[in-house]
Amino acid sequence: MKKKLWDPIFGGIMIGIAIILTFYISGRGLGASGAMTDFAVWIQNIIAPALNHSSQYFSKYVANGANPLDDYLVFMGVGIMIGSFLAGMVSKDLKFEVLKGPNISNKGRLWYALIGGVLVGYAARLARGCTSGQALVGGAELSVGSWAFMFSIFAGGFAVAYFVRRQWL
Amino acid sequence: MIGPLVNNGIISQGINTLAAVLIGVLFGYALQRSGFTNSRKISAAFYMKDVDVPVVMFTAIVTAAIGLWGMSLLGMIDTSKMYFLPSYLLPMIAAGFIFGIGMAVGGFCPGTSLASMVTGKIDAMVFVGGFLLGSLLFGDLYPIWDKFYNSNGFGVFRIDQLLNINLGLAVLIITLLGVFGSIGMRKLQYKFWGKND
Repeated sequence: MKKKLWDPIFGGIMIGIAIILTFYISGRGLGASGAMTDFAVWIQNIIAPALNHSSQYFSKYVANGANPLDDYLVFMGVGIMIGSFLAGMVSKDLKFEVLKGPNISNKGRLWYALIGGVLVGYAARLARGCTSGQALVGGAELSVGSWAFMFSIFAGGFAVAYFVRRQWL
Repeated sequence: MIGPLVNNGIISQGINTLAAVLIGVLFGYALQRSGFTNSRKISAAFYMKDVDVPVVMFTAIVTAAIGLWGMSLLGMIDTSKMYFLPSYLLPMIAAGFIFGIGMAVGGFCPGTSLASMVTGKIDAMVFVGGFLLGSLLFGDLYPIWDKFYNSNGFGVFRIDQLLNINLGLAVLIITLLGVFGSIGMRKLQYKFWGKND
């Protein structure tokens, strides 16, 4: 039996405290997408290093032989995975499975997951951050761009929800 | 001890890195215990079927905004040494729209996909794979969108500056927005889907 979830207000306060701590200790916000892009650049450095060096956007990640994984956010990303794994253990929710609504096949769900991942991966770079590092952190900093980003996320999600309802409902 | 601790030389880079891991642990733990490793729960927000995701987001923002503002008033943190995110309005609005579509289609955002992947959710693993491709696409084809990416920049641009009001009043406004936004969305959830779902 899975453990009952936290109350959303309590969960939100915990995440808010995590944001306060990153500023108090490190002078910056938390984030998730940065670490994932670092990892993508690291892989590309193994299979096609020329692409990194010729990219005006990625060349700074590997300038002077730098390792893209040597980044604050990568350490935080490792922490996110450790924390979630521990919580999954405590709440007995460690299980290989595909989560989806009843009206779609596993294969269909995984195609949607892939396409959604590509869109989010692209958009997180265009936005200079994701729901964590841009929407939550920037939201707390009262950044106008971050608030605009967050409202646009909901607009985009609501706009397309009807068309993908078979996947979820 | 006045923060930011690392910028003020109170802790070393090594301790700062350790702090990054530990704060990540807290964040990941909170994501999983809030149910955010479940793509069905995240996507349900876009049908107003379960508004826990926006409620958690608003609560986190309001908590952090009040906390940071309070700490700066008490002199516990030197905000001039904090990193503030710059605003590039049009690119961020466009990116948010694409991001939201991606979330409704894929069922995750980056942080939740990382957290979900390690609990064995296969849809999260595939989403992460897609994310890696998508961010490489952005960087490898950067010349196509670099002009747009760098357009409409306002530097650090906060709500108090936009509205030309006191910082405390701006914090109050987003607090009220968060509280009443959360209550309003919960009411809509109950109205459309009933109380038990």
